[in-house]
Amino acid sequence: MKAIIVGCGRIGAELAYRLFKRGHEVSIIDNVTASFNNLPADFEGRIHEGDALNEDVLIRAGIQNCDVVAAVTNNDALNLVVCHVAKVEFNVTNIVARNYDPIVRDLFETFDIQVVSSTSWGAQRLEELMYHSEARTVFSAGNGEVEVYELAISKEWDGKAINALIPCDDCRPIAITRAGKAFLANKDTVLQDGDLLSVAATFDGIEETRKVLHSHAKEA
Amino acid sequence: MFVVIAGGGRTGAQLARYLLDEGHQVHLIEDRKEVLARIHKEIPTEVIFSGNPMNPIVLEEVGIREANVFAATTTSDEVNLALCYITRENYNIARTIARVNNPRNAWLFDRKFHVDAAVNQAELLSRLIEEEMSLGDMMTLLQLRKGRYSLVEEKIPVGAKALGTAIKDLKFPENCVIAAIIREGQIVIPRGTTMFEVNDEVLAVTDDDGARALSELFVKLAKG
Repeated sequence: MKAIIVGCGRIGAELAYRLFKRGHEVSIIDNVTASFNNLPADFEGRIHEGDALNEDVLIRAGIQNCDVVAAVTNNDALNLVVCHVAKVEFNVTNIVARNYDPIVRDLFETFDIQVVSSTSWGAQRLEELMYHSEARTVFSAGNGEVEVYELAISKEWDGKAINALIPCDDCRPIAITRAGKAFLANKDTVLQDGDLLSVAATFDGIEETRKVLHSHAKEA
Repeated sequence: MFVVIAGGGRTGAQLARYLLDEGHQVHLIEDRKEVLARIHKEIPTEVIFSGNPMNPIVLEEVGIREANVFAATTTSDEVNLALCYITRENYNIARTIARVNNPRNAWLFDRKFHVDAAVNQAELLSRLIEEEMSLGDMMTLLQLRKGRYSLVEEKIPVGAKALGTAIKDLKFPENCVIAAIIREGQIVIPRGTTMFEVNDEVLAVTDDDGARALSELFVKLAKG
């Protein structure tokens, strides 16, 4: 795969190095020479110092013949503009962008560009870890709007249906892992002590479930 | 007309003052504290909105949905481009105008980003200088937005071919219309019987072929 990465900060350098290590052809653009110091010494992709809005710089980096463009600077407007140009001017089909300031997150949808909101996603994960550990995130869809959690089932839930634990529709059961084997679960499946219950939930949905777990723990 | 301006630097603030003088309704968005402090002394407070123009909440606050024209005059080309695209896509703004800061980025300021008109200060300045240097040559005053037509101006030199013949008898190219003649500071509306005089400034709407033919008519006859 031929990839162009715009922005050689921490994220850009890390992404470029990962792709390079997997054998992809990587070009990385940044307008500050010193930023290339973020790349490990054994990085052998192509380095382009210049302004990513400059047509010559994009063409030199190979935008006319690349498979994917990732714009990951800490300037949201620049990321939007570079991605849009790659799409409409150079017909690149696989395009991803980083969203830096969560306030402008929705603008990436206006431009119809796949986006990773590194700031809000990181903050959300940290927030979750600061609460309680009984629900562990195992997969994030999108930017964490929906996540898959694993809940460790303790003995006070033994013999109860999943319904009792999951109060709302924003949290849905997926599977139960029992004695090392998984099977699909629904709201009527009866829990056992020691089960690992996988659920898909929104942030609000998992909060509701956490509240049920807690109130129950206090009663017990 | 209701105009929203993003960027309250010298360009944006000057534009706001001018439009207010002309009787238009103006809202201006700026987020730099030091700039806000300055423009509050120059522009009525109710015109100025503090905030990041990329923030959808700020755009709603200034009433972007009701605006007829959006002008992006920040010092960042990428912000101006993104804003023109967003205001058309999300708020259906009828007309967008963007400032080009770096002339090397001028290639981006077109339909790709829903920019209806790009104001390229570096290019305007060099055109003006060029005009001063080449008196008598044809100047393109305005590239019309759609199609290949331009508004051009040319000064009639002494001994021009077109002198002494009525406009209706001059062989004008098909895609060329004489719009006005500026004679001794006054506008003369051209009729078929009007004749050009030396030092007339001629304004014409024309395509490229017409412009070439027109300059043929206005060159001096061969010496001798």
